[in-house]
Amino acid sequence: MTRPPRGWVIAKDMSDDAADVQRVLSGDVDAYAKLVDRYYDRCARFAIRMLGNRDDAEDALQSTFLRAYRALGRYQERDRFSAWLYRILVNQCRSIAARRAHRERVFVREEALLLNAPDKRPAWSGEDEELVQRVLNELDPLLREAFLLKYVEELSYEEMAALTGAGVSALKMRVKRACDRLRERWERIRDD
Amino acid sequence: MTDQLDPYVEWIAREAKRPVAVDPMAVERVMARVRLAERPSRRAARWRWFVEPRSLPLSPIVGAALAAGLVGIGVFLGHLNIDRGGQNPTGRSETVAPRPPLASSRDTSIIRDTSVIKFVLVAPHAANVAVVGDFNNWDAKATPMTRTKTGGTWSVAIQLPPGRHVYAFVVNGANGTTQWVADPTAPLAPEDGLGAPNSVVLVGGSAS
Repeated sequence: MTRPPRGWVIAKDMSDDAADVQRVLSGDVDAYAKLVDRYYDRCARFAIRMLGNRDDAEDALQSTFLRAYRALGRYQERDRFSAWLYRILVNQCRSIAARRAHRERVFVREEALLLNAPDKRPAWSGEDEELVQRVLNELDPLLREAFLLKYVEELSYEEMAALTGAGVSALKMRVKRACDRLRERWERIRDD
Repeated sequence: MTDQLDPYVEWIAREAKRPVAVDPMAVERVMARVRLAERPSRRAARWRWFVEPRSLPLSPIVGAALAAGLVGIGVFLGHLNIDRGGQNPTGRSETVAPRPPLASSRDTSIIRDTSVIKFVLVAPHAANVAVVGDFNNWDAKATPMTRTKTGGTWSVAIQLPPGRHVYAFVVNGANGTTQWVADPTAPLAPEDGLGAPNSVVLVGGSAS
């Protein structure tokens, strides 16, 4: 029995990603729709949780996928496509958060989240959703970003460092502070 | 989740992990913009890599080290020219004045030769104080500080390996509040712009 070549055991989505990227670079624009479809929901969750506002999140997602498309020629197959895409998304969320810093902060509401959403979407208590988004919104953006990447996207600190450009030590500190502040804010909101 | 989380925080993380509702037309909107964009290609990307301007983020210490290195190269080349004929390339005799160092070790940060570092904070109203940093994974329970007999000062001495360490104090008040405080006697770490900056200590000569 012949031994599989090195790197043969890779996740199916990685091989799918690489194949789709290759098709896009060969001129098949529609292959990019598969990549967008594959990652849109996960990216949307991060963008909405990060920006706390559906409109800003869609802006971030649109520019992320457009920038990723334009830069696809620079994508190296040795990197995971999802990690490469997330790096762009994190930067776009930072840019949009910085641009809107002067605007009044808007807490996301469940009704707004579900705007234009089909009825088949999972239903759960909107109060919990709203409460969670409120406490997330009150975090400093860098703390919120670190918390989401660590405990919602479940990345390792090394992966987070590659995405954000921050050191592992700084990221651990941000996650620790985020947890402390989330607990304090959650208790305050609950007692109100 | 490998780390132990406060139950409230774990609940927040679990709720935040739920999928969000997505407008089914969103992917179409992305693709509409993509179809109008210039098609990507590896060849264009390679060419762009050579001509595209880029920024190089440097910490002040690395920047100073690079500047010192460039000055050193300049001095070395100058010596080479002088050694060749005792004259500089213009043929004019010149005395090379010794240059002062770019920065003394005192300018850069706190350099302490010993590996036992004593952290001290004056916090007379605190219920308890701990030092947190990259050396204890920012764990507020790992390195509690001891209140001195005079009452207002907290201290702890710990052994640190040589290198640059970022740290802060976690001050718990009697009313249950928790504050992260930078060391007022130490340089601030540049990497955290979160309102409550951290401090830096350099241990041993290898860190400079």
